[in-house]
Amino acid sequence: MNIAEELERSVELGQFLASRPVARARLGATSHRVIHRQGSSVLRYFPPARGAKVRQPLFISTPLINGWAILDLLPGRSLVGALSAVGVPVYLLDWGVPGASDRGLSLGALIDQRLPRALRRATRHARAEGHLEADGLPAALGYCVGGTFLAMSLARHPGLVDRMALLATPIDFSEGGLLNTWADPERFPVDALIDDLGAFPKELMREAFAWLRPMAQLSKWRSLHARIHEHRFAETWAALERWSTEGVDFPGEAYRAYVHGCYFDNALMGDSWMLDGRPLQLKAATIPARVFAATGDHICPPAAANGLLAAWGGPVEAELLQGGHVSVCLSAALPARLLSWIDA
Amino acid sequence: MSQPDAPFPDFKGLSDDLYQQWERSMATWWDQVLESPALLDATNKSVSGMAHARARYEAQVDEQLLKLHLPTRADITRLGRIAGLLEKRLLEIEDVVLDIKDGLASRDAALARVERETIQARIEAAETRLELRARLDALQAQLQGQLPAQPQSASTEPSAPLVQAAAPATPAPLGAPTAAGSAPLPEPGPARPSSRSGKPHPKTS
Repeated sequence: MNIAEELERSVELGQFLASRPVARARLGATSHRVIHRQGSSVLRYFPPARGAKVRQPLFISTPLINGWAILDLLPGRSLVGALSAVGVPVYLLDWGVPGASDRGLSLGALIDQRLPRALRRATRHARAEGHLEADGLPAALGYCVGGTFLAMSLARHPGLVDRMALLATPIDFSEGGLLNTWADPERFPVDALIDDLGAFPKELMREAFAWLRPMAQLSKWRSLHARIHEHRFAETWAALERWSTEGVDFPGEAYRAYVHGCYFDNALMGDSWMLDGRPLQLKAATIPARVFAATGDHICPPAAANGLLAAWGGPVEAELLQGGHVSVCLSAALPARLLSWIDA
Repeated sequence: MSQPDAPFPDFKGLSDDLYQQWERSMATWWDQVLESPALLDATNKSVSGMAHARARYEAQVDEQLLKLHLPTRADITRLGRIAGLLEKRLLEIEDVVLDIKDGLASRDAALARVERETIQARIEAAETRLELRARLDALQAQLQGQLPAQPQSASTEPSAPLVQAAAPATPAPLGAPTAAGSAPLPEPGPARPSSRSGKPHPKTS
């Protein structure tokens, strides 16, 4: 053991943390513009790079519980940046930060109004920009809860996209691991929490995810100490810390319906979910779908993501990627896999 | 863990191995703890209690603000909700306007296409007529080239040889001499349709 080297690393770690890297981290730096707003949600357009062959536009539904910047973390660590660089016009639905007035926002309003409207606006914009023919449709990608909402929405609103991909998206919630154990209807007091708080607070959500793997919190710091010399690693570490602290309150009524439907009843795997008086059946969908699951995902294990194979009405293919629930978004393999899916 | 050529054991490797073993065993222990019903019940009760306390605190703050005639959190939330409903209504109207705009644009495009096709058909018809006219002019010129010889031969040898030479097996165009041999040739003039109905003759069209 080289004590001098260990000391030098510790000093460097101290200097790094003293420079407030988390507060200084600048996320979501890829050039884009906002083309539509409704409530707190924002539709962001990332134009294809000049000179690149323009491909089919991609609509992305991000998770409601975190910021969208995980898909545009840093230059060179950005899914949307990599896709737009090779000519994919990207339309990203950022759900934003719902405020107190959004506490009554229902799950139905999210999947029947906000998401389809954003999709229609994206399609309209893509046609106006010449990225699509007059009757062309974009492809759609959903990540995590954003994917669950996307699947639910497309099952109820056919004809908005011509295919769908889900990344680390839970569909069979009975395979959800520890989260499913915690969301036991006998124990989890979701109704009391929502009645009292009006929303599911981001602090609770962050703590819940941290406690899914307590040892990972220790490993995180140990890795930073071991690799503090690597500027790129330290920069990514700080950006991820920044992203993970910027959580979002889940609107209360939407969260109540989500937990009851998805966790308590695992209703996406069946055909008896009545949401806002209308049936919600993934079997009703006909467009082709692809599942991207991550091998080391402890939030959405591959078995939970692969539930789509049994639940979806259209043809479904499944692919397994290396990484965890978050790191899969930053992997270099993901843009290439998505591109081959878009070009297929 | 230790390298044969190194003078001292590799303590760094040893500590890494020990750490990893400890980490694995701790992770297994945590998994058991975090699935424990007793812990989950206690945690849920604690969280519910805190949520209830926070709700009561917020209600009391609102009550005090109300007594001071200041806008409460509930008032601001209500205003935000009204603004949200107005925005929703506006977005719905915008959706309808965009749909109408798209519908009009596609109808304009369809009309423009029909108009273009109509003009194209008329141009083609006019071109056909011009072509017909040119061919008729050529036929007339050909027939007029034969005219000077006809009266002379008719005066010396009545009808039959000339008529037979001039009469084709098919119907004659433009009043040319028939087997009866008596119909006069028309005067040269502007081209006319080759049949009495005004339609182009099947041979010429």
